[in-house]
Amino acid sequence: MNEWIYIQNAVVPALWKGLVVSIELIVPSAIMGLLLGIVVGTLRVYGSVFLRLLSDGYVVLFRGVPLLVQLFTWYFGLPHIGIFLSPFSASVLGFTLCSAAYHSEYVRGALLSIKRGQIMAAQSLGFSTLDTLRYIVLPQAIRRALPGCGNEIIYLIKYSSLAYMITCIELTGQAKALASQSFKYLEIFLIVGFIYLVLVSIASWLLNKLENALVIPGFELYKS
Amino acid sequence: MTNRDPILKIENISKKYGSKEILRSISLEIKKGETKVLIGPSGAGKSTLLQCINFLVMPDTGKVYLDGRCINSRKKKELYTYRQQVGMIFQDFNLFDHLTALENVSIGLIRVKKIKRSEANERAMQELKRVGLEEHANKYPAQLSGGQKQRVSIARALAMDPKVMLLDEPTSALDPELVGEVLNVIRNLVESGMTMLMATHQINFAAAVADEIIFMENGTIIEHGPPQEILFKPKNSRTKSFCSKINEIYGDMLT
Amino acid sequence: MVEGSIVTIGVVFGAMFLGLILGVPIAIGQVYGKPFLRKIIAVYVWFFRGIPLLVLLFLFYFGFLPLLGLNLPAFTVASIVLGLISSAYQSQIFRGAILSLPEGQLKAARALGMSDFSAICNIILPQALRLSIPGWSNEYSIILKDSAVTYALGVPEIMARTHFVATRTYEHLILYATAGLLYLILTFAGTKALRILEEKVRIPGYATR
Repeated sequence: MNEWIYIQNAVVPALWKGLVVSIELIVPSAIMGLLLGIVVGTLRVYGSVFLRLLSDGYVVLFRGVPLLVQLFTWYFGLPHIGIFLSPFSASVLGFTLCSAAYHSEYVRGALLSIKRGQIMAAQSLGFSTLDTLRYIVLPQAIRRALPGCGNEIIYLIKYSSLAYMITCIELTGQAKALASQSFKYLEIFLIVGFIYLVLVSIASWLLNKLENALVIPGFELYKS
Repeated sequence: MTNRDPILKIENISKKYGSKEILRSISLEIKKGETKVLIGPSGAGKSTLLQCINFLVMPDTGKVYLDGRCINSRKKKELYTYRQQVGMIFQDFNLFDHLTALENVSIGLIRVKKIKRSEANERAMQELKRVGLEEHANKYPAQLSGGQKQRVSIARALAMDPKVMLLDEPTSALDPELVGEVLNVIRNLVESGMTMLMATHQINFAAAVADEIIFMENGTIIEHGPPQEILFKPKNSRTKSFCSKINEIYGDMLT
Repeated sequence: MVEGSIVTIGVVFGAMFLGLILGVPIAIGQVYGKPFLRKIIAVYVWFFRGIPLLVLLFLFYFGFLPLLGLNLPAFTVASIVLGLISSAYQSQIFRGAILSLPEGQLKAARALGMSDFSAICNIILPQALRLSIPGWSNEYSIILKDSAVTYALGVPEIMARTHFVATRTYEHLILYATAGLLYLILTFAGTKALRILEEKVRIPGYATR
């Protein structure tokens, strides 16, 4: 009985607070990461030689270095050059830059998979370069990149827990605090694990719905 | 301008890929309502020539005139307007894979010509009817046969009201039994007075519809003239050997 | 930081190995097993792929293992947790590889009178494992990067040492950059080694990439 009261009075409010912070971390990071990833992916395919080199370098670096190292760099490293970020901003910055590098891989692959004939056909009808990209290339590329980018967003949900390591107290951070007070590690981390499972499952269900809504004959192959 | 002025004129078009010369100073002109057919072995440069005319491949040198006006391909607006007036049919159709047959035909009208969607769809439907595909309007390219895809692509080009059409081997990616339906649509176009420049291996068909046949090899025009002359009394020895090879394959129709 | 690298490599290899020996039977169970077994495996995979590494580390180190009366050192727990997660991912790599083999392979083996077990061991696995090498290469670089998170348990790997030195010398930026470089080098070396392995075991006529 005591246990139940403890859960109601301490665990639920704390985890709820943590969950809200987690979602506040995930949503902007996912959106900005995806947008930046689309830009970087497009540059890697259509950019000038210099831009291509630059964006390729960015991707190698941010995919090759552990996210935790990146977060530590932003949080503990940047103050050395006079930039002070709050734990929350440093986390969002880290998540955005890292997931953009991964998104750009999928966007790049999708853009490269579009046959040159599609672009030639649009040009032969008098489409401008921008309109070709907007009405012909992107609608096809997005369908092909969606499964990969969706996966990346699911990874982001899980990796958002690393924000705790730079003292941004989100879901995992709240759980750690609760657990070290009460020593109920098993119960609390099982609950938290379950919450993450629910978040991840909801996200993948939504992404699946979106993929199904966008599916058209000729593009089924790219469904995950 | 009179009917005798060429509607499309190209002058000294050359194109190199690296050190390989694909086109060597090609010139030709087409008058309104004429159908000219490019023949020649694979690798002769027919495809590159057609794509250069539309600036899908940028020629290294040379000029293109439409209705007597020289096209400046560096000016984007001018280039886009020009391309709207020149229809292009590709060997491998190049239908937009994410759009239905109807949307394939209407997208140029909506996005390039900025016509209202309802009007554009109505017009697109007319064009699909013209190529006999109104029942397939809502199918996606992946659900159509090769012949049907090529007919949709012809409808897509026609919807833009082109002054000239360029056809790049429109039947060579098709299974033999599907060639006929596409050739029928093209024959109807010839009869309706469309101006066309077509590359093809269908010598039989070329002989029947062409006003002039142009024989190309190694990036140059070897010989051109009325079908009877080129196919039966070629002056140049290379034209002769190409035609006799073709004769071996399609022997029964050229004798 | 060199000592840290050795610890990191130790954790990564332990995890890869555990992931491999668990991943292969899981994949076989998922492809050829009875519906009930497949359900259980699906839940296992869902569990280890859906929960963040950090949460699993805490859950095992502070919660689950002590409950079983096991007080294992952080290094061991880190390898086990990374290995369990990796087994879920690796099983999906093998599963994909098995499914990509032509159906005729198993049929032909059965036609020779092989038992199913023998056919899987002698015919399916040798082919599927070869096809899995590119996936492994990927998995290696993921585990390598994830191993940085084991710093949370106090495993004295690259990240932990770097942070330890950094807090004393206040040279954060340069030290993290060095750590990043170290990870890049380790990633490169590992994927290169797997590329060479892939080339070594390549069957003539099989293009794996």
